[in-house]
Amino acid sequence: MDYLAPATLDDAYRALEAEDARCLAGGQSLVAMMNLGLVSPARLVSLRRIEALRGIDLQPDGSLRIGAMTTHAEVAALTVSAAGPALLAQTARVVAYPAVRAWGTIGGSVAHADPAADYPVALVAADALIEVSSASGTRRIAARDFFRGLFETALEKAEIVTAVLVPPGAQGAGAAYEKLSPVAGDFAIASVAAIAGRTARLGVGGYATTPIRLEGIGVSDDALLEAGRALAASSEPSDDHRASAAYRRRVLPELIRRAVRTALIGARA
Amino acid sequence: MSQAKRRSVLTVNGEQHHVLAPAAATLLDVLRTGLGLTGSKCGCNHGVCGACTVLLDGKLARSCLTLAADVGERRVTTIEGIAGDLDFSAVQRALVESGAIQCGFCTPGFVITLTELFARDPHPGRETIRAALSGNLCRCSGYVKIVEAAEHLAGGVR
Amino acid sequence: MSDPVRAIGSSPPRLEAGDKAIGRAQYVDDIQRPGMLYAALLTSPHAHARILGYRLDAARAIAGVKAIVTGADLSGSRSGGIIKDESMVARGKVRYVGEIVAAVAASDPQTASRAATAIELDYEPLDAVLTIDEALAPGAPVLHEESASYVKAIQGGGHGNVVFETTVAEGDVERAFAQCDVIVENTWQTQAQHNAYLEPGGCVADVDASGRITLYASCQSVHHVQQRVAEELGEPMARIRAIAMRVGGGFGGKHASNIHSIAAWLARAARRPVKLVLSRMQDFEIQRSRHPARIWMKTGARRDGMILARDVRITLDGGAYADESPPVLAFALLMSRGPYRIANVRARGQAVYTNKLRAGSFRGFGNPQASFAGESQIDELASRLGINPVELRLANAMRPNDTAFGGQPVASCVLRECIARVRDAQREAPPLAPRNGRRRGVGFAVMSHISGLMGTAATVQLRTDGSIALSTGCVDIGQGSDTAMVQICADALSVPIERVSYAPQDSDASPYNWKTAGSRSTYMTGRAVAVASLEMRDRMLAHAADMMECAVVDLELRPGGVVGLKGVPKTVGFREIAMRSLFHSGGPIVVTHGFVFDGTGFDPKRASIHQLAFANLGVYTFGAQCVEVDVDEGTGQVEVRRAWCAHDVGRAINPVSCEGQIQGGFVQGMGYALVEAMKWNAEGWLITATLADYKVPGVLDCPPEIHPIILEDPDPTHPVGAKGIGEPSLVGAAPAIANAICNATGARLRTLPMTPERVLNAMDSRS
Repeated sequence: MDYLAPATLDDAYRALEAEDARCLAGGQSLVAMMNLGLVSPARLVSLRRIEALRGIDLQPDGSLRIGAMTTHAEVAALTVSAAGPALLAQTARVVAYPAVRAWGTIGGSVAHADPAADYPVALVAADALIEVSSASGTRRIAARDFFRGLFETALEKAEIVTAVLVPPGAQGAGAAYEKLSPVAGDFAIASVAAIAGRTARLGVGGYATTPIRLEGIGVSDDALLEAGRALAASSEPSDDHRASAAYRRRVLPELIRRAVRTALIGARA
Repeated sequence: MSQAKRRSVLTVNGEQHHVLAPAAATLLDVLRTGLGLTGSKCGCNHGVCGACTVLLDGKLARSCLTLAADVGERRVTTIEGIAGDLDFSAVQRALVESGAIQCGFCTPGFVITLTELFARDPHPGRETIRAALSGNLCRCSGYVKIVEAAEHLAGGVR
Repeated sequence: MSDPVRAIGSSPPRLEAGDKAIGRAQYVDDIQRPGMLYAALLTSPHAHARILGYRLDAARAIAGVKAIVTGADLSGSRSGGIIKDESMVARGKVRYVGEIVAAVAASDPQTASRAATAIELDYEPLDAVLTIDEALAPGAPVLHEESASYVKAIQGGGHGNVVFETTVAEGDVERAFAQCDVIVENTWQTQAQHNAYLEPGGCVADVDASGRITLYASCQSVHHVQQRVAEELGEPMARIRAIAMRVGGGFGGKHASNIHSIAAWLARAARRPVKLVLSRMQDFEIQRSRHPARIWMKTGARRDGMILARDVRITLDGGAYADESPPVLAFALLMSRGPYRIANVRARGQAVYTNKLRAGSFRGFGNPQASFAGESQIDELASRLGINPVELRLANAMRPNDTAFGGQPVASCVLRECIARVRDAQREAPPLAPRNGRRRGVGFAVMSHISGLMGTAATVQLRTDGSIALSTGCVDIGQGSDTAMVQICADALSVPIERVSYAPQDSDASPYNWKTAGSRSTYMTGRAVAVASLEMRDRMLAHAADMMECAVVDLELRPGGVVGLKGVPKTVGFREIAMRSLFHSGGPIVVTHGFVFDGTGFDPKRASIHQLAFANLGVYTFGAQCVEVDVDEGTGQVEVRRAWCAHDVGRAINPVSCEGQIQGGFVQGMGYALVEAMKWNAEGWLITATLADYKVPGVLDCPPEIHPIILEDPDPTHPVGAKGIGEPSLVGAAPAIANAICNATGARLRTLPMTPERVLNAMDSRS
């Protein structure tokens, strides 16, 4: 294997043109997979030295632009009131463990597109945009279109996730991320990200190969439970050794209710 | 699998080391076999157990999930660099004196994790301590005495 | 310096804790040797297949490959524990996915691994059996067709896929059930749990010019490693030396391993040192698990709460090789009565072969399975009788001088005190605030266990400066035996612990010890240390009497290594005694005491027992545990909020170490109860072979409060009264939690682990 650590995006694009080249961001998933022999890329292109991938900036439209190499710990430390960024910060706080949050990055998580990961669910709920760049330019893809399947995204060859843009969300809305996992810090078996005000917009993880987006959901308990039952009935949840599809269906209405109830507490505060 | 080796310079416990290792070599591997710093332990090699935890620029890092080639200019602190030779830091002393060390294989990771915690918060409460330790597995102690050791050090417990 | 008269009962930091805290403690993988080779393993992709042939040319052609071993190189008899049905690499057949079929030693790990994957085997796949029912079905494929030819230290199995079967019975169960007012009957299922010690298994084998092999091992007994490796390699034991490194946890899982023999074989073939350290995945796939079990149990009582009868059937899934299945089954049966006075009990059991990883010893040794069923059933019985479950336990609990199941008299028994202590501690604790959407429940469980088994020895030697060299074969796998042994020795001789050195375990030098297992170290080896130390004291007193020209009865040990004349300041030091013995008369003072567990055995007049692997077990220990849980109504998640664990340790040599054993054992039991499970797919592949898939509790999954309550009822057979505490603390967790869940929700869980899904389903099926 060959390793490069370019200092600029342009150099990174060139380096990625090689056969079977992969970006190395925080490495918290990729290196684990390499150690387990699940992947063995011919070339790793480390994004660590590229300044353009760092930093968190408030955009004129109120969106937060989070550079791809921003760590989970940095996102978790954000003190923001707007619902979209607040949702991301809450989500970042329950990703894995402190040592993984210290180096794992939002861009790496997005590009990896693990169906059990936390960020994709929150990004879909937040109506975030994924900014991707290559030698031929930059494009922004809605999160709900970006995730295509199991570890599959809209990224093209030699394209890099450069940032995530998170809109503020409706005025006065609150946010919450509700995660169910076998032990603390583990991947979710089911998760719900909610942005809620008069109605709720949800990202739901564990019920398809990519996060499911629901919007305009009424925020009464009855409406939320009903939305959960409907989604449980119509979706095809994962069925694996960590939890059965039946269990995922069974708990979904309550997870949705809890996520929105918690989000609304934030909205009032 | 290519075995082409790369040269890199690592700053470990304040000393510079020139290392020659395959590009896929993890920091853990280089520390243990290249530099003879065997205090960091390999409990799983996939980032879950925490026995390989080191500090990179003062932040917690899984050395098994960090490629040695990708460390760059970041300063590495291992268990061997926590105190002077045969000296004990306050964290180490607290763990020893509280009976928090059993088989000891997880201990270097716990020492590193608590060292990072106390560096940013000298008086953490129980929940802060537990959250900080959430990425380190111990199979012997049930964690009670490890948390107690940290609580004694924090001075927060009677 | 610690106070010498209080070496026992104080909690000095562990001798090796400092080295562990600074990263200097040496584990197997920390060893480097000049010219050392690295081993890699090739394992079976089939759950059951005949090996037709090997193609090694491609692997041999790889530069840097120094030795290869396959089943074709092995000859002679098979090895193993009670039933010799294994070989260090598969021969003739493979019987589980992950079974080692070949091993390579090469100049670096990557080359070794590349060479291992370059080895090709021709297999003829066979039908596999993955469950107890498949294994016992008529016409099922048989794993060990040649079972009749195996060397067996025990009879009682060998037909079809039955490894072993036996019965333990007392009284007349059928007649007693006829007198019962209430009878409860049910079936429980338990899963494969992995020891999941933090340090994966490993060893380094070195070889000298004479061809003698030295093994540095992560193990639970150097003597056992030596014996097993000698057997596999066809070498006399004198040609094999085993040395224990610091061991990163064992819990029974490292009591034996084929990897020691493989490393030794490769080192002998390559004439170079060989390191073989398992990856976490390999450790999951090739070492051993706790036995999955199916337990049917029926218990009957009179209306007043007196339990009259219990009938039990236990079937253990033993995996592909017998390993410790026979004794685990026997012990599970013996523990299935629970620590109760039940006059009529029948316990029948079978262990079966399946095409999965061998199941073997793991902290508790069959007792966790039996107690999960038994202690759950006590709560169900209490509910049917309308009697408080704690009161029912107190009413039927064993008392001092009762007999254990099998007829062994039990002199020391503080079970009722243990129950009362946890009940009162929980009652008196400030209540935790209720939480929205969570149901709170309290549950209890009691247990007995044993502490003993087999042989052990200790040697003490007086040095020229009057300090003491202590040596035993007891390997400290994290439980703290090094420190406890030194404390026992120092206490007997009234010296500070700093005056006693403790030798690492080395089969060339250490007195024999069976194993670190069976909660036996403090009781067995500790007893040997105490007796040897006291005999050394007597020999020193005899010297002192000569030197001071007085009678031994007029002398006393004084703190700090001094013998004094009673009532007079006149003294002689250990140093002077040592000098006299070495240079004047008597010779070096070296005392060895060895014994084999000598307690009363089973009573054949009282109990009917067929073919157990042991004639007697050990001294009995007792305990009681209480937990408070919160059950999430919406998700079924169970959170253990607080636990109280009262255990009789006879006498606490090092109370802090006892507490650590209790707390750690409880959490391992909690993991067993709620989350840990090894799972195989339909092809027999282990799908939980990483710590990302096999989850063990982290600190946030554990209660911050696990209150150890140590009871000390000195055992009369031990010079300082100590008994073991390694295993019992794990045993009560699962039933106590199951009982608490039922107390909270009314739902009775009879399958482990009690996952959120199972809890929610059980709650749903009630409403």
